[in-house]
Amino acid sequence: MTLGDLLAAAPLIVLAGGACLVLAADLVVRLPARGAAWLGAAVAAVAAVLAARLGPGTAGFGGALERDGGALFFVALVAVGAAGALLVAGDYLAREDLPPAEFVALVLFSATGAGLMAAGGDLLVVFLGLELLSLPLYALTGLLARARHADEAALKYFLLGAAASAVFLYGVALVYAATGTTRLDVLARGATPPDPLAFAGFALLLCGVAFKAALVPFHAWAPDVYEAAPPPATAFMALAAKTGAFAALLRIQAATSGGAVAAADWRAALAAVAALTLVVGNLAALGQRRVRRLLGWSSVAHAGYLAAAAAAGADIAAPFIAFYLVVYGTLSLASFGLLTLLPDDDPTIDDLGGLFRRSPLIAVGFVVVLVGLTGLPPTAGFLGKLYVFEALAQARLLWLLIIGVLASVVSAAYYLRVALACFAPSTAEATPMAGGRRLAGATVALATLLSLALGLAPLALLDLVRQVRY
Amino acid sequence: MSSFQMVLVPLLAAAALCALPAGRFARAVAVAAGLLESVLVVAQAVARGPGGIPTERFEWAGPLAHYAVGADGFGLVLLALTGILFAAGAAASRRVAHPRGYFALWCLAQAAVSGVFVAQDLVLFFVFWEAMLIPVALLMWLWGGADARGATLRFLLYTMAGSALLLAGIVSLVVVRGTSELSALALRPLPEADQTLVALVFVAAFAVKLPLFPFHAWLPRAYVAAPPPVAAVLSGIVAKTAAYGVIHLCLPLFPAGMARLAPGLVALAAVGTLYGALLATRQHDTRRLIAFSSLSHLNLIGLGVFTATAAASQGALVASVSHGLVVVALFLLATLLAQRVGGWSLADAGGVAASAPVLSAFTTLAVVAAIGVPGTSGFAGEFLILAAAYARFPGAAVVAALVVVVAAVYGLRLIRHAFHGPARAQIRDLGGADRLILAPLLALILLVGVVPTLVSDRVAGPPATPASAGAPR
Repeated sequence: MTLGDLLAAAPLIVLAGGACLVLAADLVVRLPARGAAWLGAAVAAVAAVLAARLGPGTAGFGGALERDGGALFFVALVAVGAAGALLVAGDYLAREDLPPAEFVALVLFSATGAGLMAAGGDLLVVFLGLELLSLPLYALTGLLARARHADEAALKYFLLGAAASAVFLYGVALVYAATGTTRLDVLARGATPPDPLAFAGFALLLCGVAFKAALVPFHAWAPDVYEAAPPPATAFMALAAKTGAFAALLRIQAATSGGAVAAADWRAALAAVAALTLVVGNLAALGQRRVRRLLGWSSVAHAGYLAAAAAAGADIAAPFIAFYLVVYGTLSLASFGLLTLLPDDDPTIDDLGGLFRRSPLIAVGFVVVLVGLTGLPPTAGFLGKLYVFEALAQARLLWLLIIGVLASVVSAAYYLRVALACFAPSTAEATPMAGGRRLAGATVALATLLSLALGLAPLALLDLVRQVRY
Repeated sequence: MSSFQMVLVPLLAAAALCALPAGRFARAVAVAAGLLESVLVVAQAVARGPGGIPTERFEWAGPLAHYAVGADGFGLVLLALTGILFAAGAAASRRVAHPRGYFALWCLAQAAVSGVFVAQDLVLFFVFWEAMLIPVALLMWLWGGADARGATLRFLLYTMAGSALLLAGIVSLVVVRGTSELSALALRPLPEADQTLVALVFVAAFAVKLPLFPFHAWLPRAYVAAPPPVAAVLSGIVAKTAAYGVIHLCLPLFPAGMARLAPGLVALAAVGTLYGALLATRQHDTRRLIAFSSLSHLNLIGLGVFTATAAASQGALVASVSHGLVVVALFLLATLLAQRVGGWSLADAGGVAASAPVLSAFTTLAVVAAIGVPGTSGFAGEFLILAAAYARFPGAAVVAALVVVVAAVYGLRLIRHAFHGPARAQIRDLGGADRLILAPLLALILLVGVVPTLVSDRVAGPPATPASAGAPR
């Protein structure tokens, strides 16, 4: 292993090493919940800073682990997301009496996996990342035993996820059979032959990635998992799974889009999946009564916007997808974080009645976050969608653009219903909140303000995402 | 930043309201924000002359979205109207529950409306356009009457469907042209063949917001369910953003497309003008009566806007100012009457002129302006629009002109049922504070009626031709 290999892998080594460190430390001294959360967040922050300071360089391990702008940006994004989710989790773990060290280690391992997917220059490394991302998420889903149907959701997620991994791996095998390589840079150099075997391989790869991103028709797990998993884990999962999936998708798509035929195939496949996802995700969310389940469907809908951007082509869309992921990650951290601040973290929409009376700050936070998820100005959610639509207009995908804007109108109906419910008269007795929530509250406030600030002054982030190119 | 002040003043007022320890001075802050804005606008208008405030631009969100703000003559007049009407509406919002929240949202709505009138960048325009929705919807939802929820949701979904299409149009136009600034876009119009479709998409959003017949299904419910001051500004100024949008965006950017769409749009507007007035004659609830009379007036403004000649645009401006003043005055007067007789139905009142002569006189003056009697602002706008429309679309103008007769029917019916005939009730006359709010509005109605050039001359030269709209402002 050369120094170059080490540098390329450094942020991932920090994340995985940090996870082991937390587990080991917990053997020696029983870590308190908030202590473990702080430790994990510090590890993730170090990884993020490392990825940011490292700068692009030569790929490690003979090209298997890339160190380009895209890889570094997405690794840093996942690490920051993990840090945020862990800070929210601290208070929650203490209150729910969940095993803190295990929770932190699972989140950090999963972040390593997402980073590996983003940086993988070889399809096998991407697969490795996919598995490392997924396995901890299955465990996190079932962690909250008192949640409705937690075992069912975790088992469903695991079985479907295992099938999706197998499909992805089969795709890798087919690509290897057709081209004789699993290395993406080699694939990119040799013009992809219009070979049905390779085509089938790419289609299976897309299916595997689409499962992680919760694209229709591979989305069946998402609402169940979002409803059952502990909210801080969901906040992390929403960002990490989508980041890993779309970072890998962009890289695979960019490497195999050489030649007009292949590019057109990607475009058609992604556009079809995106349209389906936008329609199904938004319509299904309309009928939900439980906020967490509704947010699960909303995550499907947001995956639709990301896929729509990807349909415009990796060259056009990569920076916009990065921007959208930052915004969506911030908003999911804030929304699921806000849920952890409520006495009942799995409310129905009606349960939110009287929230503005009881805790005006939380209610205002909900309104800002939901307005952001709807994509209304002046929040960053608006700019995220605007850039996706601009990518679609550039790619001349006007029909998808129109589906996208109409889908966002539908989404307004369910998001704003939740937001307005906070102002309705109270339906239940106010139960006092047990345990502290200052740390989670501060983190959520920061995320909420960030979602506003990114909408008003996005130039710095725009400069950052411009380095995401393939 | 001289034009951004108009957005900043209400924004700061909203921030100040959140910081207030109690709600006692909330109303005063909101009224002051409105008055300050109109004073600033008038000062700018006097200082700058007919050219308006030149555009300034700042970086915001990449190459396709800038903070580009400025105001032409049309925008300045509507900005001044924004300040006046929001101040009047705030002053009339007495004894609201949770005054800090109410007036903070009120100021946010004012900021967003002002933003629409100063934005010189398509994306920024859309931002303010959408930003109007949330505070107005919250005001309706939280402080509205019995039907508030259904009415708010319908209002939201109608307008959002329109603006979703607007966003699609803006994005595709901006990406194809590589710039989002209005001045640059107007210099490089789309090929004539492509203009119609994009123009249609833009007009769809404005047609819902105005609302142009037959996109008005949200209007009567919203006007009845919203708190009366909110309904007043919704009709008085928020609806005018749509007329402004057509004149400021569609006409300079898609002259050929708008010319091709004009016959159909003008026909709809003419039908809407008459239809609204006819429905108004059959209403028993004063709010619904005002709502349908507003529908009629707003479609008449639409008729002027879509006719798209210089004279018609001047007429639309005068009519916008007139209708803004009149409808706010009418809503406030109807509220005062309803509070005194204990219900909104015309049947509740009757013969109250004897006990409330000032209320009766004020209402009569507002109604007379609404039906367009010469000497009031209503006449000036109506006449300019109908005369200009007749020159290009005589058939539509003739249909729309019938409104003069029908408007007299509903106007006089309102006066007769509410104020004359056998006295059903003895009521208090207007108090001093109410007179203070209403007298300036009515004075402005008369002033604009007598000297309409005060308003119409703010539109320097023919505003509806691409050459002048493209000139650097």
